[in-house]
Amino acid sequence: MKWAGIAYALVVALLSAPAGAQSDPKADLAKLKPKDFPTQPIEFTVVYPAGGGMDVSARLLAKHVENLTGDRILVNNRTGGAGMVGHSYLATQAKPDGYTVGVVASLLWGDAMLRAQGRWSFTDLEPIAYVNSDALIWVGSTEGPYKGMSIKDVVNAAKDKPNTIRVAIVPGSMWEYILDQIEANSGAKFLRVPFQGGGAGITALIGGNVDIAQGFYSEFRGHLEGGKVAPLAVAAAGRMDFLKGMPTFNEAFGSNEYLWQLVRYAVVPKDTPADRKAYLAAAVQTAMKDPELIAEYRKQGVFFDPKLENSKNLAADLNAYAEVERQFYIKTGRLK
Amino acid sequence: MMEALNGLLTGFGVILTPANLYLCFLGSLIGTLVGVLPGVGPLAALALLLPVTFTLSPIGGMVMLASIFYGAMYGGSTTSILLNIPGEAASVVTCIDGHQMARQGRAGPALGIAAIGSFIAGTLGVVIMTFFAPAIAAAAIRFGPPENFALMVLGLVCTLFMISGSTIKGVLMMALGFLTAAVGLDVVNGRERYTFGSVDLSGGIELLALVIGLFGVAEILSNVETMAKTTLLADRIRGLWPSLADWRASWRAILRGSGLGFVLGLVPGGGPVTAAFMSYALEKRIAAQPDRFGKGAIEGVAGPESANNSAVAGSLIPVLSLGIPGNPVTALLLGALIIQGIQPGPLFIAQQPDLFWGIVASMYVGNVFLLLLNLPLVGLWVQFLRIPYRVMFPVVLLLCVVGTYSANKNVFDLWVMLGFGVAGYVLRKLEYDLAPFVIAFVLAPLLEQSLRQSLVMSSDGAMILIKRPVTGLLLAASVVLTFLMFRRRTKTEGGLP
Repeated sequence: MKWAGIAYALVVALLSAPAGAQSDPKADLAKLKPKDFPTQPIEFTVVYPAGGGMDVSARLLAKHVENLTGDRILVNNRTGGAGMVGHSYLATQAKPDGYTVGVVASLLWGDAMLRAQGRWSFTDLEPIAYVNSDALIWVGSTEGPYKGMSIKDVVNAAKDKPNTIRVAIVPGSMWEYILDQIEANSGAKFLRVPFQGGGAGITALIGGNVDIAQGFYSEFRGHLEGGKVAPLAVAAAGRMDFLKGMPTFNEAFGSNEYLWQLVRYAVVPKDTPADRKAYLAAAVQTAMKDPELIAEYRKQGVFFDPKLENSKNLAADLNAYAEVERQFYIKTGRLK
Repeated sequence: MMEALNGLLTGFGVILTPANLYLCFLGSLIGTLVGVLPGVGPLAALALLLPVTFTLSPIGGMVMLASIFYGAMYGGSTTSILLNIPGEAASVVTCIDGHQMARQGRAGPALGIAAIGSFIAGTLGVVIMTFFAPAIAAAAIRFGPPENFALMVLGLVCTLFMISGSTIKGVLMMALGFLTAAVGLDVVNGRERYTFGSVDLSGGIELLALVIGLFGVAEILSNVETMAKTTLLADRIRGLWPSLADWRASWRAILRGSGLGFVLGLVPGGGPVTAAFMSYALEKRIAAQPDRFGKGAIEGVAGPESANNSAVAGSLIPVLSLGIPGNPVTALLLGALIIQGIQPGPLFIAQQPDLFWGIVASMYVGNVFLLLLNLPLVGLWVQFLRIPYRVMFPVVLLLCVVGTYSANKNVFDLWVMLGFGVAGYVLRKLEYDLAPFVIAFVLAPLLEQSLRQSLVMSSDGAMILIKRPVTGLLLAASVVLTFLMFRRRTKTEGGLP
């Protein structure tokens, strides 16, 4: 109990620090730290396999939160069912005691709406901090019949000669939904070649086995630098910092409905005690302000959604995104 | 040529520092242990150690992770041979003849040839990687869905040769393997198949859980049953090292395994597991007396154990020279590089020569470490046979449980393991061959996906499978092999059983 006493004294000392002094994030965090928490390692649950984009984001975050707080953090990959097993675990089985933090992606919403069959909802997980985003980008090859074409040219070509342009998709997810939108709006028809993940589609593009691939920046950056692929358009609200010359789909088609991005954020199970939740939220949010972590994320090729970065009410803003997705499912008959 | 040699020299310059050599040795040691422990595979070990590499230099971290990967291929054969329980999925076929050798008191030569074969294959793989990595990567990327499909068909046809005993039973097991692999999400439209509304089944059956169940748990069950009458294998130990006759029988198998494994490592979705199965099927197909297989033929150990090692070298090429991972373990290596802020791609070798050549050089060193580590261990492992089964098997069962759970942290996988354990026990009693089941299970998703991809991208239906030269050639070879197979079966068995 001696240490608790010292910690308490420290907190008191910090609280009584003169007002107006530079706020120290570590001290602010110590103020929020509950007395009895954590007494064991905190698990960062990732529902996708080790080594993927989600996992890398979570592990970088864990490293920084660990450095910041001194709390031990374990990243645990609970995989299976394309994320469904882990999502169900977080929403229905994980104990709401603060020792489980999910580092999740917005694919959670689709799982909850289309696959959970009412057993759980994404609102069973309370957002505590925004992490980063990846937007879906269409890339073409720098060789072959479609080289040098803009996104409009490609769609027009698919309209003139339906079912000739081969596009790599990942079935049952936004890789496919964006094609639904484009085809519905333009009357074009593409051949949908299914792959397990965006990276496999990029490989097929370079091998000349598809004409268009879709993926995140990190998945094709190496090939972009190698001059093998050309970016066509991004399904985000604004242009990307790292590819200023690439238009958004919305710009190219004068629309506002092409928004397909992966939002990564941290959650805790519903009913996690308020003090622990506040502490964890502050820890992750403070880590996210570390320029070093931001730089590492930028190196990874992700971007930061300004709306979520400066969000006053993260849960509401995320729900607004999820609602757009729900409307799409209803419109396309995927959801009643 | 000169360029590669210069690069290699740079690499050795990078790697021959005490710190990097230590990491290489440490990785080799961990890899060997991971391979030896049943159920605990390289993927789980790499995921566990990934955070450790944050604090290391990029080269140090990569050297360690890569050496765990190929080190596991060395260790994997140990329990296959001694206990008839594969150390990891790539060593399943080693059980067939390896354990028979152990029963004949030849555990030492089996372990020895596995280590030496692994060393030769590992080193050959790195030599090819040294001189041809960029060229091979450029060719491998042209390999599209139709080519993959044809290769998988050829693989399945080879599996026909693996069947021991009744052909009908073997083909039936292959069909069951296909059916089991169909559980989960449809690869084309993302809908669920055979999941009966279960979340746990929606991702399909986990390979590791299935293999550990069929081969680990089932073996333990059979042993418990026969415990009373089993004599300890240790009483029959004859010789620790492969004899000259063993060498004569295995050196060609090692070379063939090395080549085959390397090629299968390159293919997306392939890797050590497929390589080992194919090598076994190939050895059995071309053997002068195929009936020796399953009764302790040393080629049945030498080939697959070499193949899984060179497959590691093969599978590293697409990752390092293109940034394309072909299997989960290489995906994890890619993730480790990205965490270090390095993005492998076509320019990786040019932009990060120290890193690329350092990794290549470390593989030469690592294979030497592993040989030096594993040969003396042969004597030790053989002593393990002296441990009574009643002590050994509870420990092994515990390891199976821990290993299976550690891969996905999913309790359901344990039920899968147990279910397949019981099924494996029953099927063995009824004399069904389990190897064709597993290989069909491994190949089915790749086969289905590549076929359906090919048909979607084709403008004239199935013609795409004949029009592409590589595809046509591979499919023609499959037809010829099937014909040969049935002719041989009908000759030796006087009609299909």
